[in-house]
Amino acid sequence: MIYGIKTIARYALGTDVAGRALAVRPDDTFIVSYPRSGNTWMRFLMANLLHPSESITFANVEQFIPDAEAQSSRYMKRQRGPRVIKSHQYFDHRYPIVIYVVRDPRDVALSYYDFARKYRHLEDQVSREVFIGDFVHGRLNSASWGTWGENVGSWTAARQGQPSFLLLRYEDLIAKTEFELARVARFLNVAASADVLRHSIDRSSVEHMRKLEQHPGGATIATKNARADIPFVGTATVGRWRAQLTQRSVREIEEAWGPLMTQLGYELVSKSIPEPAGLKVLVNS
Amino acid sequence: MLTRVKSGTKRMLGMYHPRRDLIIFPDDVFLVSFPKSGNTWSRFLIANLLRPERSADFATIRQLVPDPFGTTKREFERVARPRVIKSHECFDPRYPRVIYVVRDPRDVVISQYHYHRKCRKIEDNYDLQKFVGRFLAGQTCPHGSWGEHASTWLTTRRGGPRFLLIRYEDLIADGVREVGRMASFLGISATPQLLAQAVERSSADKMRKLEKEQSHISGLTKDSRKDLPFVRAANSGGWRSNLPQALAETIEAAWAPQMRLLGYELTSPGAASAPVSGFEDLLGALAQ
Repeated sequence: MIYGIKTIARYALGTDVAGRALAVRPDDTFIVSYPRSGNTWMRFLMANLLHPSESITFANVEQFIPDAEAQSSRYMKRQRGPRVIKSHQYFDHRYPIVIYVVRDPRDVALSYYDFARKYRHLEDQVSREVFIGDFVHGRLNSASWGTWGENVGSWTAARQGQPSFLLLRYEDLIAKTEFELARVARFLNVAASADVLRHSIDRSSVEHMRKLEQHPGGATIATKNARADIPFVGTATVGRWRAQLTQRSVREIEEAWGPLMTQLGYELVSKSIPEPAGLKVLVNS
Repeated sequence: MLTRVKSGTKRMLGMYHPRRDLIIFPDDVFLVSFPKSGNTWSRFLIANLLRPERSADFATIRQLVPDPFGTTKREFERVARPRVIKSHECFDPRYPRVIYVVRDPRDVVISQYHYHRKCRKIEDNYDLQKFVGRFLAGQTCPHGSWGEHASTWLTTRRGGPRFLLIRYEDLIADGVREVGRMASFLGISATPQLLAQAVERSSADKMRKLEKEQSHISGLTKDSRKDLPFVRAANSGGWRSNLPQALAETIEAAWAPQMRLLGYELTSPGAASAPVSGFEDLLGALAQ
């Protein structure tokens, strides 16, 4: 009953977390990705691109690109448009303009393992192999975003090929950051000189973001209540799974999502993966 | 603020529709479809399977196969488990098991057109071409476009043990067989007599009769025009005579891969032989 009253009071005051109940506007742009796929990096890149005179930090990034999962309905309502909003949601048909960042699920799984320990969702002694089984089969907290395949599959199946949808790969962002950020600028109709692009990239580099994360007094939404010995900004690398995942884990991931991974250009390494009927995105020819 | 307090009070009394806040149990089955694709018909079929003692009607359906957007929290508390729950939502990872009813979008658009007339959202002479344009853009109902709806469900769940795909057209052609598939998915051991009874009790004629008697009490029809029926043609392929070829082709052009996968014959010149493109396009878009 107390819980009920609290919920109702929050709702009446507009202090409930916006989340999936966010009131979407027709001119909203969303940065969407599965967790641990470069969403925060993209958020910094875009905040720096759109606000070149500001110095973006973990503390103020919420003002420029709020997280609907962390902010209240009232806060989101007060944001002046056009808004750019961070999200991890599986397909939501109301999102009008979407930049979707996808990352190799084998690297996502590894990064998620560190992340889950940082936020004390997971004890250190749980092995990676056990964790990855849970990750693939949707038995973790993260399953509220759907599994990796459900999240990526639902967005790409519904929107790929539409002019209001930009699909980016984390791996391409690492390999050719300036080229990819220029695509983002064009997609958003933002005139960005090479100088502005480079400035945004410097201000969002992994070294710079690590420094910001460790800044004294930099306790932020992203890092509070968490273990300090595991960083939020991960390794920011491509292909760590090759050295750190067991064959069995790799196989488990590829069996679950093989066709979708192939479609996205993530080469499968396990032998004779049976092709499941689903999880292959239909793209108009 | 005042409206929020008012709705807050309703919440406290359980007089609200739980919508997305519905607490989902692991043994729930969701009956999902895009609007105007046979959802209410399937609801009746399943209700008549679950409760053969009494014929389902527009008054009891709210509890037999409840709708989080039409059944109140209070009523939900009295629904027997395992529940079968009606939904029009796009992919939702929380749904444990799903019966997905899909219908040819060329028929869906016509059905939606007449439904909008019934609900006074459009005039009787509203331009069909304009309506098709809005339909393609997902602007004729609050559940995305037909393509988004079908794609998100098919991509994530098709072929898995927790997903049953039912085509509206197959329900029309062989109702007993398709209801049999629903029954085995739901773990109901149904005799051929029970299956036939469920089909008979949910026939278009029966439902039209019930609609006439109960249109004033059902949330589905209460505030709409009484001169137009909710239970309409209940046929498949009506688009061949009611949808101009050019409009059928715009629908086919938008959703050819999904339609082909579902076995809906394409009539556009060259559409049948066009290759089903997979990752080439996805990668091509990435390489730009």
